[in-house]
Amino acid sequence: MKFPWGDEERRKKELNEEIASHLQMAARDREARGESPAQANVAAQRELGNAGVIQDVTHDQWAWTWLEDLLQDLRYAARTLRKNPGFTLIAVLTLALGIGANTAIFSLVNGVLLRPLPYAQPERLVGTTEYYPQGALEVMREQSRTMELVGVSDNGEFNLTGSGDPVRLIGNSVSADFFSVLGVQAAMGRTFQDGEDQPGKDREVILSRALWERRFQSDPSIVGRRITLEGVDRQIIGVMPADFRFPSPKTELWVPLHMDPRDIGTYWGDSYMPLIGRLRPGATVQQARTELKIMLPRVLAAFAWAMPDDSFVTGTVVSLEEAIVRDARGKLLILLGAVGLLLLIACANVANLLLARAATREKEVAVRVALGASRWRILRQLITESVLLSLIGAALGLGIAVYGLSIMKTALPPDTPRLADVALDGHVLIFTAFLAILTGIMFGLVPALGASRVDMTEALKSGGQRSATRGNHRASRLLVVGEVAISMILVVAAGLLVKSLWILSGTNPGFRSERVVTARITPNESFCEVPGRCLAFYDELLRRTRALPGVQDAAAVNALPLGAGAEIFPSAVEAHPTPAGAHVPMLWEKIITPDYLRIMKIPVLRGRGFTEADAAPEAQAVLIVSKSTAEHFWPGKDPVGQHIRANWEPNVWRTVVGVVGDVREYNIRSDSASWIDGVMYAPYGAHAIRGSGADAPPAEMTLVIETSAERVQIASELKNTVASLNHDVPVSQIGPLKNWVAEAMAEPRSISGLFAVFGGLALLLGAVGIYGVISYSVAQRSREIGIRMALGARRQEVLLLVVGQGAKLALSGVAIGIAGGLMLTRLMSGLLYGVQATDPLTYGAVAILLMLVALAACFLPARRAMRVDPMVALRYE
Amino acid sequence: MKQRYQNRIELLQGTLDLLILQTLRWGAQHGYGIALAIRANSGDILQVDTGSLYPALHRLERQKLVAAEWKLSENNQRVRVYRLSVAGKKKLATERSRWAQISQAIAGILGPAGEESEA
Repeated sequence: MKFPWGDEERRKKELNEEIASHLQMAARDREARGESPAQANVAAQRELGNAGVIQDVTHDQWAWTWLEDLLQDLRYAARTLRKNPGFTLIAVLTLALGIGANTAIFSLVNGVLLRPLPYAQPERLVGTTEYYPQGALEVMREQSRTMELVGVSDNGEFNLTGSGDPVRLIGNSVSADFFSVLGVQAAMGRTFQDGEDQPGKDREVILSRALWERRFQSDPSIVGRRITLEGVDRQIIGVMPADFRFPSPKTELWVPLHMDPRDIGTYWGDSYMPLIGRLRPGATVQQARTELKIMLPRVLAAFAWAMPDDSFVTGTVVSLEEAIVRDARGKLLILLGAVGLLLLIACANVANLLLARAATREKEVAVRVALGASRWRILRQLITESVLLSLIGAALGLGIAVYGLSIMKTALPPDTPRLADVALDGHVLIFTAFLAILTGIMFGLVPALGASRVDMTEALKSGGQRSATRGNHRASRLLVVGEVAISMILVVAAGLLVKSLWILSGTNPGFRSERVVTARITPNESFCEVPGRCLAFYDELLRRTRALPGVQDAAAVNALPLGAGAEIFPSAVEAHPTPAGAHVPMLWEKIITPDYLRIMKIPVLRGRGFTEADAAPEAQAVLIVSKSTAEHFWPGKDPVGQHIRANWEPNVWRTVVGVVGDVREYNIRSDSASWIDGVMYAPYGAHAIRGSGADAPPAEMTLVIETSAERVQIASELKNTVASLNHDVPVSQIGPLKNWVAEAMAEPRSISGLFAVFGGLALLLGAVGIYGVISYSVAQRSREIGIRMALGARRQEVLLLVVGQGAKLALSGVAIGIAGGLMLTRLMSGLLYGVQATDPLTYGAVAILLMLVALAACFLPARRAMRVDPMVALRYE
Repeated sequence: MKQRYQNRIELLQGTLDLLILQTLRWGAQHGYGIALAIRANSGDILQVDTGSLYPALHRLERQKLVAAEWKLSENNQRVRVYRLSVAGKKKLATERSRWAQISQAIAGILGPAGEESEA
């Protein structure tokens, strides 16, 4: 193949000259024979024909022969495939499954891991792995020479009141230069300007495009309007473009950080957030990392109180992409690996089909060799055919991928980073085309090499049955063994994940979720600053809620289990002095009304639960701790009667009055986060103390409503009830507690589900592979089987012969698969729960399953072998 | 239009190549000269179409069976002259024997049939 683009012009000119010289010579000869010059010219030209076309055609000889060959090969390949519809159908379907699965998963990988972030010079953007408070951000902004740093809070919630129904919106507080560091502009209006994160200048808000459309009916004159967010009057200064989704696709609005050094509690303690930055010109990520380490002592020294020596030491700087994607990378790569294996199985299958067909095509190839085709030409023809096959498969696979992707996007947990960026874009199409060609070559090469090595005379002489097929048969047996081995690995992986999911769904989260409806009630934070107002509000709300039809009981809690968050309570435990320079114990504080434990069926193991009296101002300050917390602080002692205090209140000890069962507070897999030392409960009342140090009880509470049946229609009644008390309080996230638990399982379920599909496909393809090879071998050996039967072999012996052959292949595959699985499944141990990556039960069960499937796949051909009529078989040929 | 020419090339392909290679065996020659030689040597029976000749020449050049260079003709005209390459000589030998086989085979088929129809 030659692409003579370079000589193009020169060649055209020369060709023109060559034809012209031809004409001149012809005309001169005619003149010499006595024609007039004019006559001679006309005649010569007529004889020559259309010079332009001749030049074109001649020129084409240089550039396009390879293309013509290719077209010819393609036409021939298409004809061959059409003539074998059964083979073509099976091969195309197999490849479509393999390529489709790969395309779908690659779209995910592309959207989440590969696509550059949609910001200016995304490779210069970085993020911190650690969270820092506002004060630390200010110190680092002043000192850093490698980065322009800005802070972005985690998703916060804001009540929008005063315009229609009150709603709860999700928003982020950001540094004033956040947008300029990312390099993005507002679609309407402007972004924040320098200094607008300072107190007094920060009464501004920027809307997301979606919020602007939904809540403000795409009002073109929105910029400049004022709205009330969380009781604070803010001016809308801009609307962002639709594709701006930072830090999360849920973000509906951005407000400036409120950087107020005089508010020490917030400035240094209650405003922890991740930082992002843009590397300054010439700086590298490595330099930024070093600088972060160097700045750390100065940052710690600036804190308003003494910080433990090891604070922030694990923090480092990574590319922003990495900071966003975090642990999704590993999971996606595991999925990509799995579909890669699936494609290998599909390739092995089609290669096998081609090998079996090679035998029947031997004669055809021999004829073409005899007609002068070179081996290279034959090889190219056969490869063209297999690439055409896989391209058709890829086209079909794209359809499967589109469908699969839409399912995956809904099945994957919505907090999967950058999920909104996932689409079948140009990169994915290029990947698929490339994959298809590679696949075609991969499964086509071995059969094609075998077929093109045909011995012409042998093939033409014999009846065209088995001359070069012995080598092919060995190759196809190897392929089947490999295929079974890979299937084994995939099915084991699927088995381990499904078993994890099964164990996970069987675990007791520590509370009941049936017949409980929950709803978030979120008055503005300032609503509770008036002493007693919030307590009275919730008291009345619970009373009215209990009176609703179908409601048996109702309670309130500051945050649901399974990761809804809770107050973090830096504490001191009696008789557990914190060594200087070490962390104080961090406790999660669940603030509850007395009925919460009973409604949630969280058992009181020792002591007592709360009563209404515990909420009163004159009552003694009391606490309940969870079982493992009690064991952590007071092993072997009675926790009841022990004391805990907030670490900033030297003399206010709170008495432990009870111990309750452990609850999965953090997520479905674990009770608490690694940096949390325990869980305690405090009564919602005068003594509810906040981790932030604020005196008021929390404003946002979640109602936990026990119903007589699963009643979702309670939503509107509840909204009316809240509105009748205070029409500025939004009610959100109303739903059965069961859904909340199911949501917590979404990620393990989606990954297990994907693997179960891959495992099922692997099993199916493996079975088809074994079936194909065994039935081909039976067809090849029908004469031998006939002889055996003529010599007195019984049918059972024939059955054993055939099934035994298949079993031997399957057994080797299973053995290799076990070895491979032991190596590969270790990579996914992070996804497993309650089961080892080497779980012998799973391996054993999958091995047996695979053997059964293999035997079933052998059974049909074996039955055909048993029915071989010795007379027919011997007469044949 | 182009299509028609291409069809004609396909028709003659192989045979024309053989004739060109054979003609060049007597020495380097330009396209017009080759056409004249084939016509003369076939006793004016084979008229080589220019629209087939030049594509064939360039195809052979591309396959490195002939080599081409610009020279001045006896009339002091710049002409493109083709010369047989080593590969071209080999090809000529194999093509000749193949041609011999084919023509023999065709004669074998046509021979008796012709006699029958005359009988």
